[in-house]
Amino acid sequence: MSWGAESSDEELMLGYRDGDAGAFDSLYARHKGGLYRYLLRQCRDAAAAEELFQDVWMNLIRARAGYTVQAKFTTYLYRLAHNRLIDHYRKHARATAVAFDDEGGDALLELPDDRVRPADDILDAKRRAARLLELIATLPPAQREAFLLQQEGGMSVEAIAQATGVTRETAKSRLRYALAKLRQGLGE
Amino acid sequence: MTVNDRNSGGLPGAEERDSRLDRLYREAERAGPPAHLDAALLAAARREVGARPRPLASALRKWRVPVSIAALVVLSVSLVTLVREEGGDELMKVAPGTPPAPKPSGMAPPPAQPAQADAARPSPPAPAARPEPARPAPRDDRRADAQAELGTMADRPQPFLAAPRVEERAAGSPQAAPDMEDGAMRAPAAVARRSAKSVASGAPAAEVESARMMAGSAQSGVPGQGKAPPWQGYEKEPPQKWLDRIAELRRQGETAVAGEMLAEFKRRFPDHPLPPDPGAR
Repeated sequence: MSWGAESSDEELMLGYRDGDAGAFDSLYARHKGGLYRYLLRQCRDAAAAEELFQDVWMNLIRARAGYTVQAKFTTYLYRLAHNRLIDHYRKHARATAVAFDDEGGDALLELPDDRVRPADDILDAKRRAARLLELIATLPPAQREAFLLQQEGGMSVEAIAQATGVTRETAKSRLRYALAKLRQGLGE
Repeated sequence: MTVNDRNSGGLPGAEERDSRLDRLYREAERAGPPAHLDAALLAAARREVGARPRPLASALRKWRVPVSIAALVVLSVSLVTLVREEGGDELMKVAPGTPPAPKPSGMAPPPAQPAQADAARPSPPAPAARPEPARPAPRDDRRADAQAELGTMADRPQPFLAAPRVEERAAGSPQAAPDMEDGAMRAPAAVARRSAKSVASGAPAAEVESARMMAGSAQSGVPGQGKAPPWQGYEKEPPQKWLDRIAELRRQGETAVAGEMLAEFKRRFPDHPLPPDPGAR
């Protein structure tokens, strides 16, 4: 069976569950970039990101037989990624895992302020994008995760809350803080 | 400017989105997994599909119809086999003294009669078309007839239903038996028939036996023909003779032949009661 753009993620995953490897190809093509960037920007280590990326997809492959549609596929996929990331944090840097629980409201004060930059340093779009990535890297992990899930996974606040295992209000708060810090960092 | 001022309408989580940040983020470096990782994961996914069976529900959906048909066929064959085997056991359920209800073969069964009337009847009436083995014809004439018939049958294919005629004509030619290829093999059957036949007709036992043997030999000796049926010579006999013969065959251990004959008996006399233990007769 051929799977087109009109097929939903959930249909693709059900197709793969029922033995259609082509469905997995389509699913992988749709989400490999976003998931990889999510992991890369969360752990900021390409080698670790590749390992995590592989683990997440392998977990999904192994769990295919028991897959049922209980939420959006992206929520399911990024939930796997979130859990794997937490394991990674716990294994390699406990401090990061602890910081994950910290809302990091005060971290805003530590961000560099672009407004103090000289006028001739005004960035063009590409440089501003690179600057955004730098700012994202400085965000507290929980806020960064919320922002990346929104950008890479295209997820709503509710879906972010589901994927990260927090309440909707917590997810919303994290996202709001992240956006505020990024805007502040960009001098807006 | 507040977050809500910059909301991107229609997008997921629009209440907490900043369209300018969205655009800027999309312009950032779009890193992706290395190609070798892609290849490894896609291969793993294909291996997983190929190595493991499909989920049970899916497999059942695919194989439901063929499995159902196969199960139906197996069940039907088992039932037919069982019913045929059980038919033999029916013989043991009927009282041995029950008189047979003679019916001419190939005719519709008459209306059922009360069991008491059957039991009160001293002996079953012989069918009108039944051949009489002990004919007053001279012995030498009968022997000559049988030999002539054997010679004729050995030369041409013999229809299956011609056997009784052979039997009747060949009765009384004991010396023909050693010439038959199948004579020795059919000896136990001939012995069994001899007792029943001689009792019923009063003919000499040797004559009856030789007639049976000749009938069987004549059939088996015809090129291209199969063996004579075990009921050969009993086509026009009353049901009780059939049952006696079946019981005799069983006592001799020829259960397969007895089964064949019983099946034919049931076909010819479907309403005739069966004795409980034919082997005890």
